[in-house]
Amino acid sequence: MDLTNFDLDELFGFGDDSNPLMMLIWIIPIIIFVFYGQRIQLYVTSNDIKKNIATLNEYKDESKKELINFVKNNFMPKDDPTKKIETFLDYFSIMPVDMDPNGIVPKVQHFIRSREDYTRQHVKSLHPGMSDLELSKTQTLLEIASTLQLIYKIINHLFLTAKKQNNFPLILPLQMMLPFIMEQAEALKEAIPAFKAGQPVGDGIGPMVVGKMMLNTIKKESAFQTVFSETDFDGRKLYLLKAEGPLSTVGRLGDAVKNLTSDHKFDAIIMIDAALKMEGEESATIARGFGAAIGGIGVERFHIEEAATAKNIPIFSIIIKQTAKEAIGLMTKDIAETAEDVTSQIHEIIKENTKEGQSILIIGVGNTMGVPQ
Amino acid sequence: MIFDKKKITTAYTVEQCNSCHKEIKRKFKEGDCLFSETVKCPSCEGKLIIEKIFGETIEQ
Repeated sequence: MDLTNFDLDELFGFGDDSNPLMMLIWIIPIIIFVFYGQRIQLYVTSNDIKKNIATLNEYKDESKKELINFVKNNFMPKDDPTKKIETFLDYFSIMPVDMDPNGIVPKVQHFIRSREDYTRQHVKSLHPGMSDLELSKTQTLLEIASTLQLIYKIINHLFLTAKKQNNFPLILPLQMMLPFIMEQAEALKEAIPAFKAGQPVGDGIGPMVVGKMMLNTIKKESAFQTVFSETDFDGRKLYLLKAEGPLSTVGRLGDAVKNLTSDHKFDAIIMIDAALKMEGEESATIARGFGAAIGGIGVERFHIEEAATAKNIPIFSIIIKQTAKEAIGLMTKDIAETAEDVTSQIHEIIKENTKEGQSILIIGVGNTMGVPQ
Repeated sequence: MIFDKKKITTAYTVEQCNSCHKEIKRKFKEGDCLFSETVKCPSCEGKLIIEKIFGETIEQ
């Protein structure tokens, strides 16, 4: 076949003997794509987003059903709790104004704690005799259900707005964000059975390590839903701090550190927490570093950093890497098996950075569901 | 996706004897709580203590 001898005009239908039908076949799609390209793209993308919204709706309904069944089966309330629970699910939060950031932390703390106290009080009203453990479980299930409801509402709103306006650029950020949002939503949905059964979650690895060190010691309350105890190790005094297990809570570690540092002199603080792993990193790997390893909105970290800075105490941290799904779902075997290694790394840090006779504060950070002390 | 396999997670409890350190792995039962004593060790006179509770996922 001779490939050097071809006529370009003939190939594209532009020669004298050009075929008008061929020209139409070339030109019509170009015109269609120039004027309707965005709409076609919007249509294709919409189908994908619609499927994800249907999944989010399913997660939302499922979590609500699980919560209602949990309340009905465990507390057997006289009246149907469905309406009351539906009201709780619709609670919204308005964060404080941050135009003037000076003094924002106490404002955020007040806002978060008021919300927590209010929710706790109202969940308790479902069945006044419920134990603290059941109360904390119900509160967590309520948080999961209301977060899934909020995610569904926001995504659905963005999608419908873009569709109503036929606005393709508006749907693009939604399409880009959706895989991450779906991952979070799936993680929340899959966390429900673990919280219902009172099983430890991946985030509980820090409290699990410290909780084991606290066994057979005298536990004292240092802040709301937060306990500490004292023990000795290699001539040093260890102060062990964690949220009060086996409740589903992260405690108030900021307040506890503030209280403990005002009563005792510490030479080092060691924090153990779960951290989100990066893509490509292996799950359940341990890393050491400096600074306060604690997540959340930042209030607790602020108090810990402030107390450590005021007393010139270095903060060492150990993190156990995991995915968002692993952090809020039932603890995996790999994560559970890091506990011994983390304990030996705590001992190493103590030996390397402190001397005999000194005091060290060890904090297990995370949700202590199913992890007593 | 049509090629996605169904994932099933099963919860397990690992008990360890405080005397002979023998480990026993069994399925999680309602009421199991970390660090709590369960029964006597089948090999010695020690007590079994719940050491770990975790989930294992299999694809079907």
